[in-house]
Amino acid sequence: MDPTLTVLLYASLAAAAGALGALPLLVRGRLPVVGIGWANALAAGLMLGAAYALLVVGVDRVTLSGAAGALLGIGFVYWTHWVSGTAELDLNRLEETSETYGYKVLLIGAYHSAAEGIAIGVAMAVDVPFGIFMALAIAVHNIPEGTVLCSILASRGVRHRDAAGLAVATNVSQVLLAVVTFAIVAATPSLFPWVLGFAAGALVYLVMAELLPECYRQAGPTSIALVTIVAMGIVVLLSSQGM
Amino acid sequence: MVGDISPVLLVFLYGLITALATGLGALPFAFVRSVSPRMTAYSNAVASGLMLGASFGLVAEGTRFGPWQTIIGAVVGVLFVLLVQMFLRERELEFGVVHGAGARRMILVLVVMTVHSFAEGVAVGVAFGGGMTLAVAIVVAIAVHNIPEGLAISAVLRPRGTSVAACAGWSIVSSLPQPLMAVPAFLLVGAFAGVLPYGIGFAAGAMVFMVFVELLPEAFEEGRRPRVALLVSATLMGMVLFQQYL
Repeated sequence: MDPTLTVLLYASLAAAAGALGALPLLVRGRLPVVGIGWANALAAGLMLGAAYALLVVGVDRVTLSGAAGALLGIGFVYWTHWVSGTAELDLNRLEETSETYGYKVLLIGAYHSAAEGIAIGVAMAVDVPFGIFMALAIAVHNIPEGTVLCSILASRGVRHRDAAGLAVATNVSQVLLAVVTFAIVAATPSLFPWVLGFAAGALVYLVMAELLPECYRQAGPTSIALVTIVAMGIVVLLSSQGM
Repeated sequence: MVGDISPVLLVFLYGLITALATGLGALPFAFVRSVSPRMTAYSNAVASGLMLGASFGLVAEGTRFGPWQTIIGAVVGVLFVLLVQMFLRERELEFGVVHGAGARRMILVLVVMTVHSFAEGVAVGVAFGGGMTLAVAIVVAIAVHNIPEGLAISAVLRPRGTSVAACAGWSIVSSLPQPLMAVPAFLLVGAFAGVLPYGIGFAAGAMVFMVFVELLPEAFEEGRRPRVALLVSATLMGMVLFQQYL
């Protein structure tokens, strides 16, 4: 398959995973809070592991441009949170959902899926199996994200089917940026260390700013720490086998 | 002059020098005066970034010797932290003026960092086993690497009211297993080289798990989320670069 098509395929699958988030609501009729915490902890561990692979396994040394890229990546996500007013958004306070709250959840989803798209694109540029792994990690994160979104929308009278569609729609920027990043890196290899650093920085910041703080409130520190470290261990093993 | 000293004593002295360097990590905290929950949260974030970054480096080294051995070591490290946590929870704790959960975190950090120094001591001894020609370079490298560890320990102790001198003292104590383990590892390189990936995995697993189970939850509870995230990610990146270049 053409490499660009491969990127398109896996990034689309990861984006579509958001629709699976509606399933727990259909089956159980309410939000499985602890389950969402564990799913996000799993995603957090996979993403931190991916950052490890990008920073330590993928390259002999992080170059100066890689470090600058990492700062840009951290700064980019920090900036999007700050500018959208979503920095301290508590994604668990679903009872008091105002209208602006719903918009902010959509906004935060759209913004950070941009950073996740870049991560998929750059991982595909490292090599295809690593790219597929990155798409899987992002997909694992998209599912609980979809569940939270669907639950908010359902409480406002949106049908589950439409809510699932919206959950996928917030991930569209992921597909776009994955393909664009892959194409840009392929065309200008000198940009590769920058984009690699950017993806690693953005992933670590996302985990620390969004995933973990939510998880701890949902399921408590011990189980979250266990799930996260097991997920990281799996990535370490995979990356040492050459993925 | 160096030739007159027995190599064993020399390895011990080198290990001692690197242990003393850990105390330097307390120095930046001479300027930290305010003792507040926020300060504690942000210091936790810095300590977390340093330890996660250090573990990235450790795991990369361990998997070069043996990925499965590293993972097995890490599993034991996680179990070790869980056991120490359980043991500490059942007791009335006091550390200086601090009681309860704060004291538990301080003691846990000291225990984990001290135990992780055993693995580092083995690494020092095995490194010298390859010959003493690069000795000074190795000593300087390890001493420099120990400074952020002192920084991480002081970041946890200092905002809870421990004096700078005591922070430096505890940092050095946490590194004393280095000279103690360096000597047997130097004498029995063959035996210890095989243990090394397990030890490295143990050190990384214990540190990462402690970050996730104690330091980060407290940081998120008391600190503002974007600032915690910014501090963790920036120090993690800084630590990875630091290890790769120095």
